[in-house]
Amino acid sequence: MQEFINQFFDVGFMLDHFGEVLEGFRINLELFLVSAILALAWGLLLALLRQLPGRPAKPVRAVTIAYIDIFRAVPLLILVLIFGLGIPSLSFLPEALRLPQWFGKPDTFWLGSLALLVTYGAYMAEVYRAGIEAVPGGQMEAARSLGMSHLQSMRNVIVPQAVRKIPAPMLNELIAMLKDTTLVSVIALNEVIQTSTDIQTKTFNSSALTLGALMFLVIILPAARVVDKLIARSKDRLARGSHIEVA
Amino acid sequence: MAEPLLKLDGIHKRFGNLEVLRGIDLEVGRGEVVCVIGPSGSGKSTMLRCINLLEPPEKGEIFLEGRDICKGPGSAAGEAGWDVNFLRQRVGMVFQQFNLFPHRTALQNVTMAPEKALGRPKEEARKKGTALLERVGLADKLNQYPERLSGGQQQRVAIARALAMDPHLMLFDEVTSALDPELVKEVLDVMRELVSEGMTMIVVTHEMGFAHEVGDRIVFMDAGQIVEQGPPSSILDQPREERTKRFLGLVLEH
Repeated sequence: MQEFINQFFDVGFMLDHFGEVLEGFRINLELFLVSAILALAWGLLLALLRQLPGRPAKPVRAVTIAYIDIFRAVPLLILVLIFGLGIPSLSFLPEALRLPQWFGKPDTFWLGSLALLVTYGAYMAEVYRAGIEAVPGGQMEAARSLGMSHLQSMRNVIVPQAVRKIPAPMLNELIAMLKDTTLVSVIALNEVIQTSTDIQTKTFNSSALTLGALMFLVIILPAARVVDKLIARSKDRLARGSHIEVA
Repeated sequence: MAEPLLKLDGIHKRFGNLEVLRGIDLEVGRGEVVCVIGPSGSGKSTMLRCINLLEPPEKGEIFLEGRDICKGPGSAAGEAGWDVNFLRQRVGMVFQQFNLFPHRTALQNVTMAPEKALGRPKEEARKKGTALLERVGLADKLNQYPERLSGGQQQRVAIARALAMDPHLMLFDEVTSALDPELVKEVLDVMRELVSEGMTMIVVTHEMGFAHEVGDRIVFMDAGQIVEQGPPSSILDQPREERTKRFLGLVLEH
C-alpha cells in the first residue's frame, strides 16, 4: 500500500514537476480547442448533408452516412497512428500538408488534431441529427409552405431549434474529446501523457501521471455539473411548455 | 368563363397501399371561397397538401393561374427547382397545429419568410408585419413569443404570417380544430374579414355554420373522392347523395 502511494501520490514529487506537467496539459487544451471548434462545425455540416431532401441528393446522403458509420467504428487510437505515421509518408503531397508546422506547432499536433476532428465530427453529426429530428415535422412544413427553400428553412427554423435541444449531449462529447486528446501521445507529441511518462522513465515515479489526471478532473468536474444543470433546465422548460399549451 | 385561379385535374395520391386521393377534379375561381367537408380520412387535408406540393401527387395535374405546377423545371419530384418555392409563395397555408416558430417572436414569425425568401428589406418587412398583426388584432403582442400566446392568438399570428407573402390563394387546414371552443370565434372572425376582402380560399373545416355562412361552394369529400359539390344551401340543406346525408346527419345531430 505504501509503495502504491509513493509510486502514484507523492505530493512533493508532484509539486516538483508541476510546471512540466502543466506545460504538457496546455498542449492537450490546445489540441482540444482547435479540433473541438472545427469538429462542431464539421459535425453540423455532416448532419445537414445527411438531411438533404430529394432523389438528386441521395448519393450525398449515402456518402455522408458511410462516413459517419465508418469513423464512429474505427478506434481513434488507430486513426491517430494511421494519420500521424501515414500522412507524412505520402510523398505525392506537398510538404506543407504532409508535415504541417503551422503556428509553430509540430506536425504531430496537426495530424493528431485531424484524427480527433475526423472522429468527433462523426459523433457530433449524430448529436446534431438527434436535435434536428427532435424538432416537430410541422416546423419544416410551415417553413416550406411559406416559400422558403430547404436550406433557408434549415438555417432559420430547424437548426436554431435543434441546437437548443442538444447542449447536454454535446457537452458530453466535448468532455470525451478533451480526454481523448491524450491518445495523441502515441505519435510522440509531448502533451501531458507523453510528458508524464518521460518523467516516469527518468525517475521511476508515476506521480506525474496522477497529477495529469488531476488537471483533467479540475477542468471536467465543473463541466459535468453544467451538463446536469442543462438537463434539469430543459426538463423544467418542457414541463412549463406543456402547461402553457393547455392554457 | 374566366380562367380559374386553381385547377386540379385527376389528382391521385397514395401512401403505401392506401389510396388517399382517387382522382380529384376541382376548379377554384378568383375570389371564390370553397369549403371542404367530409369525414376524417376522406383525403381533405391531403388534397390541400397536394395543392402546395407538400405532398406531391402521383398522378394528375395542378394548374395555378394557368401554369402546370407539377411539370416544368424542378417540379414536385425534383424538389430542388425554383418553381416549388415560387408556387408556395403564392399559396398561403394555415395548419391545424399553428406551427409557429417557437424561437421567434410573433413579429419575427411574420417577417421571416418575406425577408429570407423574397429578400425584402428588414424595415419594409417589419412595417408590413406590424400592420398585418394589427389587422388580426394582435398589435399588443408583436414581441411575444408563441408560448406566451393563447391558441387563438397563435393561430391568428399564423394567418398573418401566411398573408405576409401576399398569397393569391389561402389554404386553411382545420384551423380551429385544435382550439378551445371559446377561442374559435376570434379565428373565424379573422377569416370572415379575409372573405370580405375578396381573398380566394379553400377551407377544410368541421364548422358547418361557418361553411354555410361564408362558403361560395361546399365540396363534400369521402374516401378520396369528391362526392358532390354546390352552393351551401343545396349541399348542406338538401344533399342528394346518400353519403353526404349520412355525414351531415352525424355532424349536425349533436
